[in-house]
Amino acid sequence: MDRYLLQRSLAALLTIWITTIAVSMLIHLVPGDPVQIMYAQSQGTTPEELEEVRQRLGLNEPLVVQYVQYMGRVLQGNLGTTIRGEQPVLELLLERLPNTLALAGAALLIACVIGLVSGFIAAYKRGSWLDTSLMTTAILGVSMPHFWLGLILLFFFAVRLQWFPVAGNGIENLVLPAVTLGVTNAAIIARLTRSSMIDVFDQDFIRTARAKGLPKAMVLYGHALRAGLVPIVTMIGLQFTYMMGGAIVVENVFGWNGVGRMAIQAIFQRDYPLIQGFILMFACIVVTVSLLMDVIYAWLDPRIRY
Amino acid sequence: MQQRVRNAMAIASAAGSHVDPVPDTQGRWYVFARNLHTVFSAATANRGAKLGFFLVLALIVVAIFAPLIAPYPADQMGAGMSLLPPNGDYWFGTDEFGRDIFSRVIYGARLTIQVGLIAVGISLTIGTITGLVAGYAGGWTERVLMRLVDVVFSFTETLIALAAVAVLGPSLTNAMIAVGVAAIPFYARVAYSVTLVERNRAYFDAAYVAGAGHLRLIFVHLLPNIVPPLIVVATLGVSSAVLAAAGLSFLGLGAQPPSPEWGAMLSAGRDYFTLAPWIMIYPGVAIMIVVLAFNLLGDGIREALDPRQKS
Repeated sequence: MDRYLLQRSLAALLTIWITTIAVSMLIHLVPGDPVQIMYAQSQGTTPEELEEVRQRLGLNEPLVVQYVQYMGRVLQGNLGTTIRGEQPVLELLLERLPNTLALAGAALLIACVIGLVSGFIAAYKRGSWLDTSLMTTAILGVSMPHFWLGLILLFFFAVRLQWFPVAGNGIENLVLPAVTLGVTNAAIIARLTRSSMIDVFDQDFIRTARAKGLPKAMVLYGHALRAGLVPIVTMIGLQFTYMMGGAIVVENVFGWNGVGRMAIQAIFQRDYPLIQGFILMFACIVVTVSLLMDVIYAWLDPRIRY
Repeated sequence: MQQRVRNAMAIASAAGSHVDPVPDTQGRWYVFARNLHTVFSAATANRGAKLGFFLVLALIVVAIFAPLIAPYPADQMGAGMSLLPPNGDYWFGTDEFGRDIFSRVIYGARLTIQVGLIAVGISLTIGTITGLVAGYAGGWTERVLMRLVDVVFSFTETLIALAAVAVLGPSLTNAMIAVGVAAIPFYARVAYSVTLVERNRAYFDAAYVAGAGHLRLIFVHLLPNIVPPLIVVATLGVSSAVLAAAGLSFLGLGAQPPSPEWGAMLSAGRDYFTLAPWIMIYPGVAIMIVVLAFNLLGDGIREALDPRQKS
């Protein structure tokens, strides 16, 4: 078990390290002169000023030096300042991050409740009309673009019925985006739960439990659910990283003030320090969550502990 | 997408056992053709896959004959009054510039097919080669390649696509490249795991003993045998690619107005949708149908190839 966790942690560190390299070199991959592109929108920038920016960002140094300098700053918690407004990137990101986490967390809760329950029912009633209709709904859900579902929900519940405000950042504004993100992902979780539970129902120990006359409820909850939950837990970790990705789009539909919305604006404004900071932070969150899931998985499933 | 990979990897072994060792006399094209046949007969045996197959076929027909089907050119402003609700002349209504939404949705099918082909082409080609080479070579090549794939895999597709668009700049072409690149790890993992199975088969040893070179072993002997699971991943991959590219376009990072790309249409119609909900309904339904079609087809083929997944 220790060896397994050590391996996973090293892999996580490696991932983050490679990300820092990719992120610090991002600006050089931009076709053309990044400084000129960044400042294309501000009028009257002289060549001297551009040169000064280039100096300030250290773009004239050799790549290795640039990377070392970048890492030096990042390790001190300095992600640089934005091009527009010269605000500290880390502060900006941390200010908005709770909003994104709240959205992803609420969506995950909705997705898990709907997805696990309907997946379990579908597996238990395999082949019935209930199974068929649940799975038909699920494949429709998987195929639905969440930004579109978001627009439709916004139209009906905020504009027509006026149950929820159209924009803002209160708790009542969280409902529609969380439902949007949650429902599409519930479909994925339902499908995975179903196939995972069907695998378990087919196994010998379930047949044994049934054959020896255990009450149905005990077989279901004591045996099947416990075994079936193991792969589902890892999957839910993956779902969370998924949600973080989906949140970027959904935040933009609902004007929810999270990091995703800020990242999209940064891309439009070519604010590379902000984009770099966003990617690095996002990568760290995703890697941490998957590491956490590996730990939980190892703890749940004795077979992993080698 | 992650679930798909796991499923696809699960069928990797099943698909492997599905294809009998090939007598050398019948040749590689025979293997390839038989694998294709396996996949397609599998697909037609499944109800959902049949529906998906017909929807895909319909999409292709619509795309090819778009100029004949659409009553107006896609970007003809003032084809009607602006913001007309759906009626006999303008089936899906008109948008804020008086363009016929039905015609735009029809022309949008062409862009969607382009997105699917190009994005999946990129990820399928690079992913398959990476997985094949890693699985074939073993040792350090395998470790480095697959570790790299794992690193890319651990970011979400959305993040990679965003980073790629941030670097390349917003356009539909760049969005297709971004979406294609972001999906490479899925294909690489599947190709890799099937290659590991195939490498241990008798035909491979026979070819090796007969003195086949590296390239011949990889592309002539291994490649045709890893086709079925890759078809599953690629089919499901089209739906992911279409969704992701439409999402980028919706955010303004992909197709730019006045392109009749469906995601871009939704994005442009946002300001008017309280007045004219039809502007956003039809492009969204179009995306959903296409994604559903490829999901049904892919699921159907997968179920047929892997009896364990059958319900």
